[in-house]
Amino acid sequence: MKRQGPDKAEVLQGTLILLVLRTLDALGPLHGYGIARRIEQISQDVLHLNQGTLYPALLRMEQEGWISSKWGASDNNRKARFYSITAAGRQRLVRETGEWKLMASTIERFLAFDPSTLAKERE
Amino acid sequence: MSWPRVLVARLRGLIGRGGHERGLEQEIQLHIDLLTEANLQSGMSPEAARSAALRSFGAVEPMKEQYRTHLTFAALSTLAQDLRYALRTLRKSAGFTMAAVATLAVAIGANTAVLSAVNSVLLRPLPYHDTERLVMLWTESPSENLREGRTGYWNIEAWRQSRSFTGLAVFDGVSLTLTAAGRAERIAAARISPNFLSVLGVAPAAGRMFTDQEAGQRNRVALISHAFWQKHFAGSPDALGAQIEVDGVRSQVIGILPAGFHFPRLDAQIWEPHTLFPDWDSRRAVRGVDTWSVVGRLRPGISLPEAQSEMTAIARGLDEHLPPAERNRGVTLMPLSLHVVGPRARFALWMLAAAVFCVLLIAATNVASLTLARGISRTREFAIRAALGASSFRIIRQLTVESTVIAVMAGAAGSLLAWVAIRLLGSLDPDILGLPPPLGAISLDGTVLGIALALSLCIGWLAGLAPATILRRRNLDLSSDSGRSIAGSAATQRLRRTLVVGEFALAIVLLFSAGLLLRSWRNAEGVESGFQPQRVVSLELHTPFQLPPQQRSNFYDQLLQEVASLPGVEKAGFTSDLFITSTREHLLTTEADARGLPQRVELRRDEVSPDFFTAVGAPLLAGRFFNHTDGPEAPPVVIINRALARRLWPSGDAVGRRFKFGPADSGGPWFNVVGVVADMRRQGAEREPVPQIFESLAQNPSGGGSLVVRTALDDPLRIVPAIQAAVLRIDPLAPVSTAATLEAQLAAFLLPRRFQTSLMAAFSAIALLLAAVGIYGLIQYSVATRTKEIGVRMAVGAQRASIFRMILGEGLKLALTGLALGVVVAIPIGRASSSLLFGISASDPPSLAVGVFLLLGVSVLASFWPARRAMNIEPVAALRNQ
Repeated sequence: MKRQGPDKAEVLQGTLILLVLRTLDALGPLHGYGIARRIEQISQDVLHLNQGTLYPALLRMEQEGWISSKWGASDNNRKARFYSITAAGRQRLVRETGEWKLMASTIERFLAFDPSTLAKERE
Repeated sequence: MSWPRVLVARLRGLIGRGGHERGLEQEIQLHIDLLTEANLQSGMSPEAARSAALRSFGAVEPMKEQYRTHLTFAALSTLAQDLRYALRTLRKSAGFTMAAVATLAVAIGANTAVLSAVNSVLLRPLPYHDTERLVMLWTESPSENLREGRTGYWNIEAWRQSRSFTGLAVFDGVSLTLTAAGRAERIAAARISPNFLSVLGVAPAAGRMFTDQEAGQRNRVALISHAFWQKHFAGSPDALGAQIEVDGVRSQVIGILPAGFHFPRLDAQIWEPHTLFPDWDSRRAVRGVDTWSVVGRLRPGISLPEAQSEMTAIARGLDEHLPPAERNRGVTLMPLSLHVVGPRARFALWMLAAAVFCVLLIAATNVASLTLARGISRTREFAIRAALGASSFRIIRQLTVESTVIAVMAGAAGSLLAWVAIRLLGSLDPDILGLPPPLGAISLDGTVLGIALALSLCIGWLAGLAPATILRRRNLDLSSDSGRSIAGSAATQRLRRTLVVGEFALAIVLLFSAGLLLRSWRNAEGVESGFQPQRVVSLELHTPFQLPPQQRSNFYDQLLQEVASLPGVEKAGFTSDLFITSTREHLLTTEADARGLPQRVELRRDEVSPDFFTAVGAPLLAGRFFNHTDGPEAPPVVIINRALARRLWPSGDAVGRRFKFGPADSGGPWFNVVGVVADMRRQGAEREPVPQIFESLAQNPSGGGSLVVRTALDDPLRIVPAIQAAVLRIDPLAPVSTAATLEAQLAAFLLPRRFQTSLMAAFSAIALLLAAVGIYGLIQYSVATRTKEIGVRMAVGAQRASIFRMILGEGLKLALTGLALGVVVAIPIGRASSSLLFGISASDPPSLAVGVFLLLGVSVLASFWPARRAMNIEPVAALRNQ
């Protein structure tokens, strides 16, 4: 697979759900392109999405009942499928956010970790 | 994870798949278009904008694949892929598919039809409670050659001390005259003991059974069948308590039996107390008047052998109370189901079932062989698939899916064939199985159909996986240039040869059995019946019930005169029974016998009118027929058949001799033999004629019998309405029932045999065809794979004729091996089915020879074309090609 640039990160497997839920929660109903676009915009183009992978994820999330979809017209009046977050999706978002924060802070601690302090505790 | 919700969503996805895929397609299109637009706006060239858009979207097909696995179920989606692939490959090799499907379908259709018959006739329970515990009890007397004899009331009273039964019921089937609305009708009925229904475990659908008291007082009460209730009372509840007129006496209906109940005859319509016989006193009191049939219900926990030994002991215990002639009688116990469908019909059905199963085996063998051959030629395909990363599990699954498709198609076609076959069976004479309807009525049974479909699947899988095992064993070698490895094909060919040998072994068993049956049938057809049945019709007829016996003669005279004068009638005769339903043992004393010692003769007595013999066409061998001088005032005269004449007077002329029934000092009259007639086979062609005595109808007028009319018409049934009208003119209360041509009645005796034989012949024809196809396919393939070898042989100097002989010999060797194996099995099978044979021995050499000859001929024919092809191989071309 070709990278677009060294400074762009692939979206982690598993975080995609969080990103999609958060985007839909914040911005309301969006179609697939819209979701992909916003994720890249919000991340200031740091997060690179292999945009096609969005669709299987959207299908799974809809099957889980976290999002719902409806056919409508896009800005330029083309038929598009709009996804919006459901109540179950918001609950899921809260959980995922919590988990992510816990994970992030744990990783943070590892990065801030100073070997000398651990050595002291050992003694 | 909320898996139930996902499951539901995926199940829904399964249904609306097409819509989902189209929706996804639109989303992808929109997405890529929008991406392209954005790129354009940022100043890219149209081409660059589009390719950048495609790049950032990523690979479409893998994404779609992933989408699909989420949409429904991963396994299902690959299964669908396998299925599509299977359908495509099967369509590509349409010849193979059609051969396999047709072979299996014929076998499955035939099996379903025959199993349905077995199920309808042998396995479906009788309409009584817990039928397995119901037993018929017969008197047996080895010294009198009696196995299933009826029993006297006196003996039955003694039998009742048995502790093996919860009840013993007696019954006797009769036919009665029912009078309604000024017309008389003959119906089947039974006189039964009060415990009859409780022994059978059946309760009346409405009303009640009669009581011991009612039976004891000989009250005129009756139970009626459901059909009778519908016909005569239109199903009205008023039937209970209504009066019907039976044999001229009013009888009160007290109960209605459930629909579907039948006993002892299928068409029995009225059940009365057993005490209602006019001769009840003698039936009850006199020992040795053996008129009753007995059915009993085994006590729970008692087995049939236990009951049998107890009954035998009871019979022994009676001996001291009996005169010497009646001693040493035993009791035969027989399960009711065996009584209803006799051992011969049972055996015939099981034999057909076994035969049709052989056909199935042969068909399965053929399909396996076909699939094996196809498997070998597909080695390259499998090698490629394996090289592309298909696991052997996946390849086997692919093969399984293909076999399943074939099996399902064969199952569907087979069910259709079975349905047609059963409809055909149903449209044939219901007597075909030797059973009256509804027992003979066969229907396509859901369970049987299910079993047949399951069987189809099993065979499909087994046959389909045979190549898989061989493919697994070998290296799938892509590099071998033809994709066929010689070693693999040799292993397969060995297996195929074994299969063909098996086919021939099964086929000879079937052909031999069919040959035995065909020859038995021909023998039975060729038997001289003693009749000239063409253009003869007979009608069942009874004298009006109120007619005293003395006046019956008058009725018969009038009737026969009237009928004989009808246009188209040549002769009209009457007999108390046209065909023999039962024989009895009599003591006969001939006058010439100086010591006056009586002989015991199992014989049949009937009363006939003077023209009876000419009407049926039985030739007179000596003496004269009856005439108008043989009236009640004249000395008693008889005509006897040849069998009796030879028995009583082996050395001389019977005409003019006298005999009497009973010992010399009994009070009976001497009968003067005035004529001897040829033996009429009145029990069907296959039974040796029993000794028969014909008395003069005028001297002993029976209550009813058969009116036999010889006509000048090609279709004698056309005279029937005129005869019925004539009977009505003489007495409207004389019931006339069934009319049938004599030819049809004689043919009816052979119907079961004809049915069995034609089915067996059809099965063996199928077997023959399948064996031919099997061996042809094998030899053909063998030649195709050995082109190079044959080319080499020729190149080093083999003659074309010797190549031809070699290939022909290959086929013959297989056929002979199969035949040798089959004959070893066929001979004992023939012996076991000797009860179905007639006029031939169980190892009948012509039947065997014809079977062997046919199969050898088929194998030669089938190897002939491949052998010719082998002979015409050009060695140079063969060597260059490979």
